[in-house]
Amino acid sequence: MQSFIPIVLVVVQLALLLALSPFVVGLIRKVKARLQCRRGASLFQPYADLAKLFRKQPVISSTTSWIFTAAPYIVFASTVAAGLLMPVFVSHTPLNFAGNIIALVYLLALGTFFLILAGLDAGSAFGGMGSSREAIVATLAEPAMMLSILSIALTAGSTNLSTIVHQSALMEGVVVAPPAHLMALAALFIVTLAETGRVPVDNPATHLELTMIHEAMLLEYSGRYLALMEWAAGIKLLVFLTLIVNVFAPWGIATSLAPSAIAVGLLVYLGKVAALALVIGVIESMFAKLRLFRVPEMLGAAFILSLLALVFFYTLKG
Amino acid sequence: MPASTQLGSQLVDLCSVLLLLCCFAIVAQRRLSACVDLFALQSAFLAATAALVAFLTGHKHIYFAAALTIVIKVIVLPRILRKVIERLNVSRELGMNINIPAGLLICGALVIIAFFITQPIIPLGYLLTRDSLAIALAIILIGFFTMIARQKAITQMVGFLVMENGVFLGATAAAYGMPLIVELGVFFDVLVAGLIVGIYTHRLQDTFDSVDTSTLTVLKE
Amino acid sequence: MTVLLVGLLAIYIAGVILPPCFSGKARIQNLVAHGLAAAAGFAGMVLGLAGLLAPEPWTASVDSSIPFLSVAIRLDPLASFFVLTISVVGLAASIFALGYLAELYGRASIAAMGSLLNGFLLAMTLVVLADNGFFFLILWEVMSLLSYVLVVTEHEKPGVREAGLFYLIMTHVGTAFIILTFLIFFQETGSFSFEAFRHPDQQLPEGLRSIAFFTALIGFGAKAGIVPLHVWLPYAHPAAPSHVSALMSGVMIKTAIYGLIRVYFDFMGGEFPWWWGFTLLVAGTVSALLGVMYALMEHDLKSLLAFHSVENIGIILLGMGAGMIFHTYGLHELAALGLLAGLYHTINHAAFKALLFLGAGAVQFATHTRQIEEYGGLLRRMPWTGAFFLVGAVSIAALPPTNGFVSEWLVFQSLFLSFQLPTLFLKLMLPIAAAMLALTGALALACFAKAFGMSFLAQPRSSHARHATEVPRSMRVGMGFLAGLCIVLGLAPMLVVPLLDRVTAPLTGAAISSQVLALDGWVVAPVTVEFSSISTPVLAMLLVVAGALGLLIARLFGKALGARYYKTWGCGLNLTPRMEYTATGFAQPIKQVFETIYQPTVKLEQEFLEQSKYFIKHQRFESHIEPVFEKYLYRPVVALLLAAADRLRIIQAGSLHLYLTYIFVTLVLLLLWAG
Repeated sequence: MQSFIPIVLVVVQLALLLALSPFVVGLIRKVKARLQCRRGASLFQPYADLAKLFRKQPVISSTTSWIFTAAPYIVFASTVAAGLLMPVFVSHTPLNFAGNIIALVYLLALGTFFLILAGLDAGSAFGGMGSSREAIVATLAEPAMMLSILSIALTAGSTNLSTIVHQSALMEGVVVAPPAHLMALAALFIVTLAETGRVPVDNPATHLELTMIHEAMLLEYSGRYLALMEWAAGIKLLVFLTLIVNVFAPWGIATSLAPSAIAVGLLVYLGKVAALALVIGVIESMFAKLRLFRVPEMLGAAFILSLLALVFFYTLKG
Repeated sequence: MPASTQLGSQLVDLCSVLLLLCCFAIVAQRRLSACVDLFALQSAFLAATAALVAFLTGHKHIYFAAALTIVIKVIVLPRILRKVIERLNVSRELGMNINIPAGLLICGALVIIAFFITQPIIPLGYLLTRDSLAIALAIILIGFFTMIARQKAITQMVGFLVMENGVFLGATAAAYGMPLIVELGVFFDVLVAGLIVGIYTHRLQDTFDSVDTSTLTVLKE
Repeated sequence: MTVLLVGLLAIYIAGVILPPCFSGKARIQNLVAHGLAAAAGFAGMVLGLAGLLAPEPWTASVDSSIPFLSVAIRLDPLASFFVLTISVVGLAASIFALGYLAELYGRASIAAMGSLLNGFLLAMTLVVLADNGFFFLILWEVMSLLSYVLVVTEHEKPGVREAGLFYLIMTHVGTAFIILTFLIFFQETGSFSFEAFRHPDQQLPEGLRSIAFFTALIGFGAKAGIVPLHVWLPYAHPAAPSHVSALMSGVMIKTAIYGLIRVYFDFMGGEFPWWWGFTLLVAGTVSALLGVMYALMEHDLKSLLAFHSVENIGIILLGMGAGMIFHTYGLHELAALGLLAGLYHTINHAAFKALLFLGAGAVQFATHTRQIEEYGGLLRRMPWTGAFFLVGAVSIAALPPTNGFVSEWLVFQSLFLSFQLPTLFLKLMLPIAAAMLALTGALALACFAKAFGMSFLAQPRSSHARHATEVPRSMRVGMGFLAGLCIVLGLAPMLVVPLLDRVTAPLTGAAISSQVLALDGWVVAPVTVEFSSISTPVLAMLLVVAGALGLLIARLFGKALGARYYKTWGCGLNLTPRMEYTATGFAQPIKQVFETIYQPTVKLEQEFLEQSKYFIKHQRFESHIEPVFEKYLYRPVVALLLAAADRLRIIQAGSLHLYLTYIFVTLVLLLLWAG
């Protein structure tokens, strides 16, 4: 009996990631629509989109190789695997031992690598352009992400996500290093916007040639392959949102396996993710997309913020 | 240390950090008017820090300094600067000698340097505000850097004012504020400096049709 | 052990001597030379493993009549590890060469190349085994000279001789500094034996030790390609035939890493000031970053790979440097971790870099060009080579669950554990180095997305690529072996870590194998599972399961919908290869963002029609990046030397009598000085 619990937890977490991610995408779209005084599509539209795409016959470019058809599965797999490594609604996630936060970052990078290759495979200039831009954005986001992660990890004395979340969830009253946390949060938030292709960096709603990044890479995809790619993008967004809410605001997460704690943890988690999605929707409505060569400045700022987080962690004793 | 003091000193730290963050935002800005707004925001944080210190230590005269900060640095000076920008039709973009990412990196290095310099004296300071001293020094250095890295006269004024904010924070941190008369004098100085730079910018515009201080190099002939 | 070693040496020597005996039969020469090299490689692997597992170092020595020189050999764990690395790559490269050299039959001397290769492998193996400074230097020099000859094999091609000469000069500058290092030790101990270096009668004075630190760093650094001593590497490595490039980039530069570890940890006894480790850390960070950045701008596939060697040497140095810093502060377990991470990356880099060079060789074999811009669509024409190259690319980009990921992850851990250090400065600097490592990793990802994507995907960009076919079987076997090794080294750290621990334990005084491996070895967890852990087998399993889940869902919804094939959408036009994104275009944003480092110059000449300036008759576009080090560091030095030589020419009047006078005066002065 006892040995069943971890397996059940993993399966539940997997199901939650798969089921919730289209909803988050839909929620952000809804928020944007409301802010633009539109009614917007239903919150559940992304589910319908996915179902539709899965049932369509895909058209594959005749210039492509097996990379093109394998890439969606690899991107999907790496994103899902990354999602399974982190605590979602229970602070002790069973697969925690398999990879710490660096492994999570590199798993996502595996997806990015194959996404870039997929963009190049069809041989269209759009795909190449998208891949090239994705490469620079992903590159510049990496150092900021690593440093901000480290300054969080230092607070908990661990780079294992479960330990980080568990410790900060158990902490009561005063947070240990507020300035450091604040900076790291800001840095990680910017990185999230860049990595998941949200507005100041990329516009997920556009098919305008000159501005697209993620969409440009997916241009040749259709049918189930497109569905998997879109789903993976949704899961990636959810992974980053979960990371932020659980690391910086772990309050309410289930620290034990009591049914009541899990129920509370689940509800609180849903609320927090929805709130963060709301924030992202508002930000997307407030800002215009940046020119590509302004993005390095933004990510440079994120790097500086994460560096300050580190400096403050060591120097500000409070 | 008692929990309340710890909380207090964390709050002071947080406020000081926000001040520092404003500095970085100024360095990262491309638009002139946003620089002025950020300076006003920074001054507001400064006033908040001062008020916090006043509340926690019971030094009443710091309240007075905080109030003066609000009046002069949050309201009057930004207004003067905005008026100058408006009146002179200064172009919105800043002239830069050093680009933004490099500037940010340099500022990051300056912060680290500031912390290293102050490390030996930090344990000697008051418990409540000792960390702010390092941040104050960092703000002064970044203010100075802004004056070097940006070309327009108005940004140089902003840099100067940022430095002044740093000095004020440092004084609050190190000695719980300067004597009232000194503070008054400083505020008066800043005000006058603001006015002088305003007039000087006007003259610059009249003579060169630009507020870019690098045009001043032609005067050496 | 003795039998193994003697056998190994005998096979190599046979490999040197036998091939020329079959004159005129190129195919047999090829078979004999590379068959023997492969056999020796296999024997070397066994010897290396045996040496690693042996409880005591195994030594042998024969004194010679030359003073201070003795043919001393010592097979300790450190040497065994490098013997293993050299032999593995040697094995793969010689199998590859069997097919690769086939196209040179009748055009080049296969016997000479085969003998040289065997000699080169023998010299490298002996370099790491040598236990005497004099002996070491002789072997080092033999190794350098043989590799020089191998570099200039194809000397009729443009640029090859220049590359060779550049390499020869740089390696000799390096050797000079290594000689200096050994002379410093000699001065204290009065012997050239490594045993004496290891246990000097009295400690070297602090200043002299520091000088030895720097001379060793420069001497071995010139071979390893540490920035700014790396300038020869991107010229020389690509100029050699590909299986030799694989050996040079994969293992020869590692002999320099061996030298550094030997000198710092073994001879210096692990008592360093903190700034030694810090210097290594800075050198590593700079090498890693600049190496990968220049690689991104390189569109010659082999030069690109050569620049990545600079990057990976940087990563190895990061691990070593962190280890040295921890050692200074007495954190022996962390020191062992840092060194272990560096060594793990050493063997990983040997595996994937050799694989990639062999892959590049295979592609060159099929297309007769090295320019990425002329490739394209090769994956459909060369499926095996493409798949192996992809494994190498994923490994070097440090993506899970491959071997590059494991070792880079370990380097990250050792840098993150810096919070245990006592000084604020280092506490801040090590994480910054980690951030730079993250940037390096991301740039490497971009670079190999470029290298693989542009070479193997989309449509062929030239007739070379269009007519490419898959390479012969022996070449595929060579690559396949290394690709398998990359995967095994990634999935089975529980086999590698205990072996490496035997190397690092005597050097740092802490055995950490049992701490690093948790849960029966399924989890790698430096220090504690609480701090951090990964398990590549589980990650790989997760990936497979999640991928299968995706497949299942797609099947479930779409039943068995087939796919339709149609041409790529090109805005209504028929897509031609000329419309594809080029490698230059792919790297353009990166060039623009890191402008400060690249210092690119762009020249655009346009000529318009007379009627209107909106119609361009023809235009010329030129763009290149500034070779900063060559321009600002090397050229002034060379200019200085030339100027000095000019001055000295006065004494060279061309008169025989004058020269005799010089000799006479020197002789007299020497006699006077001696008397």
